[in-house]
Amino acid sequence: MKFPALIAAGSVAMSLVATTPVFADKLDDIISSGVLRCAVTLDFPPMGSRDDNNEPVGFDVDTCNDLAAALGVDAEIVETPFPDRIPALVSGRADVGVASTSDTLERAKTIGFSIPYFAFNNVVLTREDTGIESYEDLAGMNLGSVAGVFEAIALEEDFNEWDAGGSFRTFQSQADVFLALNQGQIDATVVTGTVAAATVNEGNFDGFVIADEAPYLVDYVGLITLREEYGLINYLNLFVNQQIRTGRYDELFEKWVGGGAEAPDLSVPGVYY
Amino acid sequence: MFDINYTFHWNQAFRALPDMLAGAWITLQIAVLSMVIGIIVGVVLALAKQSRFVAARGFATTWIEIARNTPALFQVYMIYFGIPAVLQLVASWFDIDFRAMGINIFYLDSYWAVLVGIAFNNAGYLAETFRGGLRAVPDTQTRAARSLGFGPFDAFRLIVLPQMFRAVFHPMTNQMVWAILMTSVGIFVGLNIDLTGVTQELNARTFRTFEFFALAAAIYYVIAKIVTSGARLIAWRLFRY
Repeated sequence: MKFPALIAAGSVAMSLVATTPVFADKLDDIISSGVLRCAVTLDFPPMGSRDDNNEPVGFDVDTCNDLAAALGVDAEIVETPFPDRIPALVSGRADVGVASTSDTLERAKTIGFSIPYFAFNNVVLTREDTGIESYEDLAGMNLGSVAGVFEAIALEEDFNEWDAGGSFRTFQSQADVFLALNQGQIDATVVTGTVAAATVNEGNFDGFVIADEAPYLVDYVGLITLREEYGLINYLNLFVNQQIRTGRYDELFEKWVGGGAEAPDLSVPGVYY
Repeated sequence: MFDINYTFHWNQAFRALPDMLAGAWITLQIAVLSMVIGIIVGVVLALAKQSRFVAARGFATTWIEIARNTPALFQVYMIYFGIPAVLQLVASWFDIDFRAMGINIFYLDSYWAVLVGIAFNNAGYLAETFRGGLRAVPDTQTRAARSLGFGPFDAFRLIVLPQMFRAVFHPMTNQMVWAILMTSVGIFVGLNIDLTGVTQELNARTFRTFEFFALAAAIYYVIAKIVTSGARLIAWRLFRY
């Protein structure tokens, strides 16, 4: 009989149509779900913070919105403290991390980075009464930073090299570092220049001063996603490129950092990517 | 649907094992010290709570209530961030600016803040445990000791206290395990040298979150297991008739 064979063929064809295409990757998933979920750190002004209405704002929030607009989907901000960025991506709570993530080789073993979308210089932030005037003055002082971030690693290396006493402590958020500095638990921290400027200008903490530039390499930060999502990483690279090409990068820098400063150069001279 | 896009690299975690074990040593140190302080203060609090003096009773009750009914995290956080703020405020009432004088009276290292915080917590819990233990020793023991010529202090020290410790030995072991696990709240006050602190730094630096925390959990488990089995051994040696 032909009939059962026809049914069998039909059901096979149906099942092929019904199942998700085998090659759907994260980029497809985002587009078809209609939502881009960005992991953003919201205690890191001016990159990410909350406004008076408790709404997320900042350079990273705007970048996420731009990316969502480019993809033609809605943006959803998933508040993510620094140490939780990777768990948020791996467990599928967020699609992309727009959270000032330094592109270290060590981290690149675990996650995929886009080309740099921002760059930081680091400065010494201290209180007026500590007498710290230069980076070298930090030797022997009580220092602190956010656990595991670029500037914390650099500062700890120097702290160990100075071997001049004092202490080095790490906290779970930028806010706790500022609180510890304010209360005298630490005498100074090294923090990105944009964040330091925003903190001093806001005036939430009396007596905070920027003492000196920290002699570190430029801290380039990339957008992050799962390491194997090449389609999405390619898209992110082009997105960053377009942000700069169209002048949107300068515009966002002026909006969130401003002060007449030039937006940091994101290219490294003398080398291909 | 739950799928994790993550390949485990255990060798990366095992490479960091010496650092993590060094962290575990600090964890154990804080736990043991906080336990010793907690036991001594706990006995005093238990006695103070039964005291005839209202002030002593009030002091002990306040301590025990706060220690037992607020989160340990809150207690440690208050000691690290709260007390310096209060000192600063009080100093400002008297127009004293210690900072201008170059004295940092507000400084308290994370290690000590965690140790003091957990000792505070231990003392509160243990005081209640000890109070129960003291009730378990019949009054007649004291009276018999006194009639045999022991002074009030010796009667307490040599007759009542050892029997109390036997009664509360297992709850004390629990508190010790609890103290070990509680040291992990140190991460919120900048403690980066204990097991949790070291693990979190490794995590932030390398993003191998799951390996490092799994390994840390295993180390905590082993330490706790060693403590409970050790306690059982000590109890068996100490309390046999």
